[in-house]
Amino acid sequence: MDNLLHTITLMLEGTQVTLEIFCITLVLSLPIGLLAALGRISSLKPLRLLMEFYVWIMRGTPLMLQLLFVYFALPMVGIMLPDIAAALLAFVLNYAAYFAEIFRAGIQAIGRGQYEAAKTLGMTYPQTMRRIIIPQMIRHVLPPISNETINLVKDTSLIYILAMNDLLRVARTIVQREFDMTPFVIAGVFYLVMTFVLTWAFKKLEAHYAKYDQ
Amino acid sequence: MQNMTNNIMLKMTDIHKSFGELEVLKGIDFSVAKGDVLAIIGPSGSGKSTMLRCINRLEEIDSGKIEIMGRALAENGADGRAEYVDEAKSREILACTGMVFQQFNLFPHMTVMENLLEAPVQVKKRSVEEVRPEAEELLRKVGLFDKRDAYPGRLSGGQQQRVAIARALAMKPEIMLFDEPTSALDPELTGEVLKTMRELAQEHMTMVVVTHEMAFAREAASHVMFMADGVIVEQGQPEEFFAHPKQERTVAFLQNML
Ligand SMILES: Nc1ncnc2c1ncn2[C@@H]1O[C@H](COP(=O)(O)OP(=O)(O)OP(=O)(O)O)[C@@H](O)[C@H]1O
Ligand SMILES: [Mg+2]
Repeated sequence: MDNLLHTITLMLEGTQVTLEIFCITLVLSLPIGLLAALGRISSLKPLRLLMEFYVWIMRGTPLMLQLLFVYFALPMVGIMLPDIAAALLAFVLNYAAYFAEIFRAGIQAIGRGQYEAAKTLGMTYPQTMRRIIIPQMIRHVLPPISNETINLVKDTSLIYILAMNDLLRVARTIVQREFDMTPFVIAGVFYLVMTFVLTWAFKKLEAHYAKYDQ
Repeated sequence: MQNMTNNIMLKMTDIHKSFGELEVLKGIDFSVAKGDVLAIIGPSGSGKSTMLRCINRLEEIDSGKIEIMGRALAENGADGRAEYVDEAKSREILACTGMVFQQFNLFPHMTVMENLLEAPVQVKKRSVEEVRPEAEELLRKVGLFDKRDAYPGRLSGGQQQRVAIARALAMKPEIMLFDEPTSALDPELTGEVLKTMRELAQEHMTMVVVTHEMAFAREAASHVMFMADGVIVEQGQPEEFFAHPKQERTVAFLQNML
């Protein structure tokens, strides 16, 4: 019994690392993704092409490769980042690209009538985006954003290979030491709880935004 | 004469506009004086919407001159192509225009009241407390005060269009542009919108209205203009225009409308 408690305590510490990666990645990649999306639909061609290239690279290669690349390649060119920062850099770059695609599609789904109405009322492009387009876009993209966010919870387990003590790594360490599979089951339950809470939160958000629907 | 030119709210001179190979406006000239209600009629594809959208720069002309309340929005440069004033100036000149669209284009994520407050507060930087009584007054005027907290999705088409009119009026425009404001409505709902527009006309709002509603053109307009194939075929006062159309094309069109 004591043993189980000890295991759970260790795993809660691992969960903390997992949640840290998750939260920081989410908080940074959403706004960066939005900026990248605005860049992708910008009238400045170089900016548009640059963002397209960025999204293409990030979505076209495995996140695992990106993690390893940032982790091993940056020190080789003399950039020393703490482990967690390196992992975060890769996660944020990767997730921002996915979010950018979702945001771009969401923005482009909004008819030009909204832009025209805003323009005839004297609103500038930034005002129109901030006040009219982006708030409507957010509602449309909640389901895909919710999916990606749940993926992120699970993807955090990739930092396992960077020898950081996240939930999955802690679980494996204990399993190897004690020849007992319980930690894997507990890890599974922990991941389920996290994704369950997220799913619930997004449902709430969607309901909130649905209030102006027919 | 001096007085008359001062009263010109909108003057379009030799307007040309093409979409690629397709020439949609082939030299349009007209002007609108203060308090005029100009109804523009014509067959589908004749360039009515394009003409209207050129007035407030939703489309840009290729050549010609656009003057709004005496200020040039665009005029021909040395090469004979229209040059627009810069963005800030353009915004300033167009501040006296408002537009109502066929598809209403209300902001669906805002309540009726928020739709009305948005531009005065964001664009003119006025305070909500200051604008709200004006917005309430406008909503009373279009008969939708009790819907002020509803979202547009909950309103009928006719109600949405009346909100759209109130929203445009909240910016206190001098010229109102309407692009087929009743065409997207069920027939039984056009009446309430036309009534609102008639009231506006009676208050001497300067209006340019693209419409298929001949009754409105006949009764509420001070001038009627018939467009076909990118040119103005005929224009005049409604009594004369409808009773004695002079051009064959006008006669044929009017016969078709009845
Ligand atoms: N953005 C655009 N790009 C290309 N062609 C266009 C565009 N807008 C309009 N056109 C074309 O220009 C012509 C005039 O269109 P416009 O919408 O001005 O006609 P309209 O008189 O308003 O017709 P309707 O009564 O059907 O509204 C049409 O042939 C139309 O297909
Ligand atoms: Mg039209």
